[in-house]
Amino acid sequence: MRWILLAAIAALGLIGCANLERSRDLANPNVRPEVTAAQVCSNCHGLDGNSVSPIFPRLAGQQESYIVAQLENFRSHQRSDPAGYEYMWGISRSLTDAQIKGLAEYFGRQTAGKNAAVAGGSLDAGRKIFEQGVPEKETAPCMACHGANAEGLGAFPRLAGQHQDYLVKQLHVFQETEGRPGTPMKQITHLLTNEDMVNVAAYLQAFPGQ
Amino acid sequence: MRKLIVLGWRRLSSNWAAIVPGLAIVAGLLPIDASALPLFARQTGQNCLSCHAGGQFPELTAYGRKFKLTGYTMGERATIPLAVMGVASASKVASTAGSTDVGADFPHDGQFEFTTASLLCCGKITDNIGSFIQWTWDRFDHQNDAGKWVSKSHIDQVDLRYADRSIAPTHDLIFGASLNNNPGVADVWNTHNSAFTPVPTYVPVGNPAGNAGGPFVDVPAAPTDQSLGQHSAGLTGYLFWNDFLYAEVGGYRSTEKPFTVLGDTRVSGFDSFQRLKGINPYWRLALNHDWGANSAMIGIHGMSAETYLDSADTGSPTAKFRDIGIDGQYQYILDPHVLTAMFSYTHEKQSYNDALWNLSNANFTGTFANSSNTLDYLRAKVTYIYQAKYGVSLAHTSIRGSADAVLYGNPTAVPDSRLWAPEIFWTPVQNVRVGLQYFMWDKYLGAKSNYDGNGRNAKDNNTLFVYVWAAY
Repeated sequence: MRWILLAAIAALGLIGCANLERSRDLANPNVRPEVTAAQVCSNCHGLDGNSVSPIFPRLAGQQESYIVAQLENFRSHQRSDPAGYEYMWGISRSLTDAQIKGLAEYFGRQTAGKNAAVAGGSLDAGRKIFEQGVPEKETAPCMACHGANAEGLGAFPRLAGQHQDYLVKQLHVFQETEGRPGTPMKQITHLLTNEDMVNVAAYLQAFPGQ
Repeated sequence: MRKLIVLGWRRLSSNWAAIVPGLAIVAGLLPIDASALPLFARQTGQNCLSCHAGGQFPELTAYGRKFKLTGYTMGERATIPLAVMGVASASKVASTAGSTDVGADFPHDGQFEFTTASLLCCGKITDNIGSFIQWTWDRFDHQNDAGKWVSKSHIDQVDLRYADRSIAPTHDLIFGASLNNNPGVADVWNTHNSAFTPVPTYVPVGNPAGNAGGPFVDVPAAPTDQSLGQHSAGLTGYLFWNDFLYAEVGGYRSTEKPFTVLGDTRVSGFDSFQRLKGINPYWRLALNHDWGANSAMIGIHGMSAETYLDSADTGSPTAKFRDIGIDGQYQYILDPHVLTAMFSYTHEKQSYNDALWNLSNANFTGTFANSSNTLDYLRAKVTYIYQAKYGVSLAHTSIRGSADAVLYGNPTAVPDSRLWAPEIFWTPVQNVRVGLQYFMWDKYLGAKSNYDGNGRNAKDNNTLFVYVWAAY
């Protein structure tokens, strides 16, 4: 009887071997990006890229070239902020260039939804930083690179509707670490206070028109 | 009624001397690099805290629950799907009062020793099939006739899954089946199952009472659905719909052929009321909601079981156990803070074959004084972890039962006990944990003082427990 049981398990295994349209295999280059997005990425980022938990950034409507750059940087370990290496080094380690491009296209074409109400921070102060910067702290206005609607442009990510907590943590990463090299953000953030960060992140999460 | 007296008592034989070299060989085969971490971490390439709340075990994050529900199939299949874990610990009882042979009643009291090790074979097998299979070696499994402690190794937790997921903008349906050896092991909230809880708290490490092995400090009683680990083989089907509704239903039977591989000993070696008669239904229903950094679950669970008085004799009289319970969890996870609060309450109705309690029955066994009994079992725990490194927890267990002078031999004739267990722990790296826990018995076997009629008090059973847990 034991052999019958083992044979049944083996048979089940064979049945389950090839399931490319519902695979969660991250090392199989034949799995379509749309399948990986649904079966794996959606667990944290949401099927439509509008993540619920602020641990995970919203990807809906994100700039494709920005997503590609981040996934490549995770894969090469150039991006080493804690949230990045704890979660994304493993996810990205065996993705092919084509899969990365496909994932970027998938999330780029999703529609960004309205985020939850902001819990703290001054929206007015945040709007001022976004639109005018903080000249005395050598901080350029966010909208200069990220667009008047915070929609991003190419390598500059979309910020509108992004989680406040995620943005604050990333601003600290830029300011205090070398975890995200190759961007002008270290210079831009180096004199910002935590209060500045909380305010501008609050404004971005609640971005008007979202 | 030993089944109700002792949890997790293991009997299967195997020499530990054969196990340790085996574990060493396995450890030597594993790649030594940045990804040389416990098995699921190697498969996903992710940090333990991705799936485990604050990196602690066994509480799962929302993401970890999805990983388990989808059959441990996410990531890359490991070249060598093996991992090892071990626990070194010491327990020190507050008082040995009432003992005439302290060395026998409280063996290893206060001694820090390597106590248990496990070999795990886990992870992705195919796109739809994955496993969690644990084989455990207990250094102090039992004492032989000469009073010498004997080590044993045995099958521990088994969860072999088939899972699939249909997800689209209109729906998200995860569904699958689990072949396992412990009711509730397939559950992803770990609120009410005993799979990883040899003590009535949610601690993933050895039982101080079990380590001591003596009759003085142990869990007085537990519901049947939490006492069948490694003595039952179950097949359950489950679904998780739109991150909202979880349902699981299945049946459990004894680990007889062809399921002997799932049992930690032959059925003839089971204790009383550990051998199931026929197929015994188990079910679970839960509602889940995630919002922001929060996640909450409220659920109900139940099992109906019938077991034999004499596990070696299927002609012996049986007892029926009907468990129904409610459980819940709240989680807040946002770096650097992780908070998990959980509870589980189970009410059990026990009813017995006439021969077990009725004096006038020709086959009277004298096992119970009553024709039926009840048992209420509450567990709760709150854990806070900072930076996935520093943690505190407070666990509570409360047991109440109807009086039965034969079932419970103590003067009060009830199993009523209350336990509080505060704990502090430190996780210096994600696969090592050091902890200190204090088990405080507020009531034991129905009394605060003189619970045994020989002057022993509940607080005499208080136990300090220190442990070092590591996995590789």
